[in-house]
Order: sequence, then structure tokens, then C-alpha cells
Amino acid sequence: MVRREEAQLDTSSDQQWILSALEHDQLAKAKKHPIARRRLKGASLFTVSALRIYLLFMMVVVVYQVWISTK
Amino acid sequence: MGINRMTKRTEAVEIARAMRTAVRPVDDEVIITHEDVDRARDRIRVSTARAQHSFSSRARLLWLLIGPGVLVMLGENDGPSMLSYAATGAKFGVGFFIPFVVLTFCMAMVVQEMTVRLGAATHRGHAELIFERFGPFWGWFSMIDLAIGNFLTLITEFIAIRAGLGFFGVPPWAAVLSALVILYSALMSHRYWTWERITLAAALFNLVFIPVALLTHPNWPSVGHALLTWKPLPSLSGDTLLIILADIGATVTPWMLFFQQSATVDKGLTTKDIRFGRFDTVLGAVLAMAAAVATILATAPLFAHQMSAENFQAAEFAQALQPLIGRFGASLFALGMVEAGIVASITISTSSAYAFGEVAHRPHSLNLPLAEGKSFYGVLFLCAAAAAAIVLIPGLPLVYVVLVVNVVAVLAMPPALVFLFMLVNDKEIMGDLVSPLWANILSTGVVLVLTTAGVLFGVSVIVPSIFMHLGGN
Repeated sequence: MVRREEAQLDTSSDQQWILSALEHDQLAKAKKHPIARRRLKGASLFTVSALRIYLLFMMVVVVYQVWISTK
Repeated sequence: MGINRMTKRTEAVEIARAMRTAVRPVDDEVIITHEDVDRARDRIRVSTARAQHSFSSRARLLWLLIGPGVLVMLGENDGPSMLSYAATGAKFGVGFFIPFVVLTFCMAMVVQEMTVRLGAATHRGHAELIFERFGPFWGWFSMIDLAIGNFLTLITEFIAIRAGLGFFGVPPWAAVLSALVILYSALMSHRYWTWERITLAAALFNLVFIPVALLTHPNWPSVGHALLTWKPLPSLSGDTLLIILADIGATVTPWMLFFQQSATVDKGLTTKDIRFGRFDTVLGAVLAMAAAVATILATAPLFAHQMSAENFQAAEFAQALQPLIGRFGASLFALGMVEAGIVASITISTSSAYAFGEVAHRPHSLNLPLAEGKSFYGVLFLCAAAAAAIVLIPGLPLVYVVLVVNVVAVLAMPPALVFLFMLVNDKEIMGDLVSPLWANILSTGVVLVLTTAGVLFGVSVIVPSIFMHLGGN
């Protein structure tokens, strides 16, 4: 069943050309369907966690650098 | 007029053909939104151009499909980036940094190409994919990185606009207000295509740094020598490292990943368009590289004349160049800074709005009419307005924001790249479009370069004496 949210779509042929012009998952409402979750583990989890710690530490370094520059 | 009528007729034929084509059976209820209608119109024009095989239709196809790549690359030639290149030229002249900047754009190409593939294959934005595939824990980390980075960068864009227009005597409030009006006007079409073309036209003004460079009469044999030999090398010091980081941060930043993928999706590119998406990215990188190298060349005479440019901002660079290239050249330089700030404020606030919409499951498209996209346009405009307001607060140490913003971008890039790397190698969502081995080797190399640069920066801040010993200063 095709429902319209758009006043311009007066005929079913209008709807049909839109559906044929776009891939199904290009429709705005199709994006509501979630993508399956992937659990991080092993090397991926280690890399992501290590880089997260790296970033947090480096942010402290940046704040420290700004602090010593302002002094 | 005649061509227009012919194109419309061809489109009508194509629509009729499409209507005769069996539509994919839809089991679930299908809801068509305004956004879908606009995107479908764009796709019909692409299909029409693709169906023909003449040179003009290939050129038209290219015209229809370029956009996100050129925008992201020229958008990244923003206020702080152009200031970094200007500082590079003024501090080091022609030498190591010319090929180095070319290398950073090659890194940007490798990274951004992955976002084109990811967007075309999944039709999902970057923030959305990280949230859905890896969960909200990692998703929120990425969003916080993006939000902080984007907001700091937006502030620097308005600093560049204020400083650039300040060269012409425009008061800060008027400079900032006019930038907001331009940003708002670009959005008013409520049509991705129109927004993209307006922003592209504005972005091409970034190339104004090329005539400025030509006015300085660069020594071309020295430029060629630097490109081939990477010499003269700069001395190893904390300052050199800061410039290296700033120049890397001027070409590869997290917002670019989010923006190009979301724009690819909003434009409606599909897997058939990836080749053109790649071309778009390379074209953008080449144009942005030309503007970046031109900026280094434009300020290199300041190095040759031994002028100190330690704390120069946009207007000061233009003023310092005026005796060397005249009022016209200096005005072009200042206008280039204004353009860099305006285009980046448009693209960066758009990337924030896309990411917010993707994560909050709110409509997020430049094809949305105002009534349907209140949250999208609201976030976009509020981000820009808040950054603009901060720039107007008297007495704030804004110079430090400019100094650290590119550094923060480099530091935040490796975690963002690892998620991109995992997504683009995920066979379940990418199918046959997963990255080939060579792309994985290159992207791993980019992550290693960025992480090493970040670690060296950390060492230079915590133990500055190490670099004094190594560099002899």
C-alpha cells in the first residue's frame, strides 16, 4: 500500500515514478528500519578503546597547552 | 530555451518509461515524503543523462553528479586552514611544506572516497551508521567529538569572516550578520540541488588565492625543486610540529567524513554513481590543493622579507602583503578569507544538522520544506548563530581557538577513521563494495601518520626540551 504525505502527488502514477526513480532504501521512511547491531570484540574493541583513551589524554594535553600559552 | 524544452521532454519520456517499468513490489506500507519527490526528480535527470551516450550527455551526467566531493574539499579550505597555510608560507617560505600539503590532500582523497562508497551503498549517514552498527555507547563518543570539533571550527569561521571583512572597515557585527544572512539564504530554496549549486559557486571563489599568489611572482624553479626534493627542510621544533599538525588538520577532519557521506545520501547517489563520486572527490582535492599551495606561495614573500607572522590573523596577513602585492591583491586575500569562512560555516553547520537528525531520528535533508524540517534547519542555524555570537563577545581569547582547532581535528581523526575503516570493510552492509586491500593499506597508513603526529605533538607540549635538543633551537 502506498500512502501519500505530499500534496503534489495526485495520482498513483506520480507515486510510481518516484518509487521507480529511487532505490527502495533511499526513501526517507525506509531509513527507520534499523541495521543489525555488530558487537565489537577482540582487536576491534582494543583499537577503538585505545584510540578513545588516546583522544581523551590528548585533549588534556591541548587544554594544558592553551593554559601555558595564556600564562 | 530550446535545449531546456528538449531536456524537459526527455525527462518526461524517462518518467513515462519509468512508470511502465515494473515497480519493485513493496510489502510494507510505503510513505512518500516531499524529500523523496525532490530526490526522485534529481535521479530522473541522472537516469536520463546516463541513458544517452553522447559527449554532451556524459558532461551533463558529470555536472549532475559532482557536488559533495568538491564542496567538502573546498569547504575544508576554511578560515583556520587558510590561516595555517598563510602561516606556513610566512614562517617557512617555499620548501618542505609545498609537497607536504600535496601529500595531506592525497590522504584526504583516500579517506573521503570511502565515505562516497559507504553513502552510496547504504543510503545512510555516517552518524546513523555508527549508532546503528556499533551501538549508542560508541555512537555518542563520535557525536561528542563531532559536536565539539564542529562548534570550535564554526567559531573560527566567523573569526575569519570578521577579520577578513575588517580589512575593508566592516564592523564585526555587520560582518557576522551578513555571513548569517548568506547562510540562511542558501538554505531558503529547501532543495538540496539548489543549495549545492549556490554553495559550489561560492566555494569556487576559494581559488582567488591563485591570482594572489601570481601577484607575488613566485620563483617557479624553487617551487618545482621543493615539490621534487621536499627541500629545504624545516628545523625540528615544537613550532614546526604545530604547523605540521595544523596543515594536516587543514585537510583531514572528522566533519568531512560526516558531511560527505550525508551529502552523498541526500543527493541520492547510488552504487552506479560511485565512479563519478570518486571523480568529484579528486576534483575537489585538486582544486583545494591548488588554493592551499597558492596561499603558501602568496605569503612566502613575508618569509623572504624576514617579516614575523607569529600572531597574524586574516586581516594582518592581508595588511602585511599590501606593500608587496598592492591594495588589489591584499583585498583579494582578505576576500578569500571571508569566502573560506562563509562556505565552511555553511558546510560545517550542515554536517552538524545531518548528524543530529540521523541520531535523533528526525527528518534530515536539505530537500525538506521548513515545516517538515524544523529540527534540521533549527540545529543548522542555531549552531551557526551561537558560534557567530561568541565571536562578538568582547575580550574572549579567540586566538587560542584558532590555534588549537586544527590540532583538535587531527587528534580526533584516528578514532573517527577507525569506525569508517570498520564500516567500509563490513561485508554485511557493503557487500562487494568493501575496501580493496590497497585502500585498506593506505587508510591504515593515514591512521598511523595522524596518530604519530598527535603523539609527537603531545611530547612537544609535555617535554618541549626534547625538540630543542633535536632541532638545535
